[in-house]
Amino acid sequence: MAAAIVNARHQVGLCQTCFHLSAEPVCSICSDRTRDPHTLCVVADSRDVIALEKTREYRGRYHVLGGVISPMDGIGPDQLSIQPLIRRASKADITEIILAISPSVEGETTTLYISQLVKPFVKVTQIAFGLPMGGDLEYADEVTLARALEGRRELL
Amino acid sequence: MYLQHLHLRNFRNYHDQIVQFQAPKTIIVGDNAQGKSNLLEAIELLATLKSHRVSRDRDLIRHGIPDAQVAATVAHRYGTNDLDITLRDRGRRTIRRNHEALRRQLDALGSLNAVQFSCVDLELVRGAPDCRRRWLDSLVVQLEPVYAHILQQYTHVLRQRNALLRQSKRESASVPPAAIALWDAQLATTGSRVTRRRARVLQRLAPLAQHWHQQISGQPETLTLHYAPNVPWQEDEPQQVQAAFLTHIHQQQRAEQQRGTTVVGPHRDDIDLLINDSPARLYASQGQQRTLVLALKLAELHLIESVVGEPPLLLLDDVLAELDLQRQNHLLTAIQDRFQTVITTTHLATFEAGWLAASQQLRVAAGAIAPLL
Repeated sequence: MAAAIVNARHQVGLCQTCFHLSAEPVCSICSDRTRDPHTLCVVADSRDVIALEKTREYRGRYHVLGGVISPMDGIGPDQLSIQPLIRRASKADITEIILAISPSVEGETTTLYISQLVKPFVKVTQIAFGLPMGGDLEYADEVTLARALEGRRELL
Repeated sequence: MYLQHLHLRNFRNYHDQIVQFQAPKTIIVGDNAQGKSNLLEAIELLATLKSHRVSRDRDLIRHGIPDAQVAATVAHRYGTNDLDITLRDRGRRTIRRNHEALRRQLDALGSLNAVQFSCVDLELVRGAPDCRRRWLDSLVVQLEPVYAHILQQYTHVLRQRNALLRQSKRESASVPPAAIALWDAQLATTGSRVTRRRARVLQRLAPLAQHWHQQISGQPETLTLHYAPNVPWQEDEPQQVQAAFLTHIHQQQRAEQQRGTTVVGPHRDDIDLLINDSPARLYASQGQQRTLVLALKLAELHLIESVVGEPPLLLLDDVLAELDLQRQNHLLTAIQDRFQTVITTTHLATFEAGWLAASQQLRVAAGAIAPLL
């Protein structure tokens, strides 16, 4: 068991393309040819990739930032893998970048920063925030409800 | 709403104390440092999740004990609610409503509304602007609980932005324009929410305060509440206000870089209190100041009642005895039996007879409460 942990520590690095945790230089998602290479989902952390993968609903690729912008913790854009993201977005034939970063103050700031940078050459979307499925409207807290109202959309 | 029952365990100097409130007015008599204000503080904590006296939970817990609990039963028009807060020496507090833990603490706001009036409030007129901001913020939270979240977000943005400015100052480098622009935008977004809500509430409070001020002073004096935001704006439109913020930030750029801190935003707002158009801070007499604060408190009571739909509690901490009989009378007529009132005092001698009639009287001594015989 202890050996397994030590091994894991040695073997696991970051994917050169998307910065997700990976034992290989390029992770299994990036090397999967069946996945849509035109859509990128940007997340803060590798754990977010795992959460999104569990849904099995997303068939595009990822980009892991490795954190969010937070001057208090000394984290600026340069400490995150934002430059590589720009390079990916401008080089490959990416058609959409989906920003899936938690709606905290730092998360929103990071979202704002990235969207300003990549908007000129690619379509940028942000995942919706609001009510959990199976949740009753009357039991939702006011902050979530206000947020859900803000992000309402027209029925087609 | 009516507070029926309060249970304090290891809160401040109380071991295990149950208080049943049996009349619309409860008078708590005791010498200094026996626990009178602690009792009101417990009610304040349930209503606002804060204490105006301390900011750390640890200070609310009896010395040498790991946790404290404040539990209450509140009767509303539609039924009763149980609310309890567990405070911990180390670690986060837990809040439960009807015995179910709340995932978000802010959800507890609104279960109990209260207006507190203590000697600290006399500072509202003479004190520094932060007294008035804190007073206004706690009122807005009671009317619009979401505001607690908005304020929290603003403070968070402010701290991040200050960290960035401070860091640049320390390294004597200029702030990277792209990085600061990001926080400028966030400051404008969150700051405009704060200032707009503050303005809206003040606008509704002003006529009520004016009305009560006239009633109490019995003179044709006009009280004006004038909101003096750090970032002035005209039209109540999110985009307009945000634009005003960005312009102001731009103007103050140099000052901010020099001082390494944010000088633009609602954390530097003030509220001007004017009597006949002259600042009460400079010209009002002691008596006028008291009248003014009393008028503000009565306005708060009535505004909360009209927004929430139920009369809030009134907590009078050691101030009733300081008002002359005429003002006591005005207060009495204004609250009647509609607003449940908890009053602390060191002695009953200076009370107007109307207050003593039909009130429940308790004595507190060394953290124990018993009926006054």
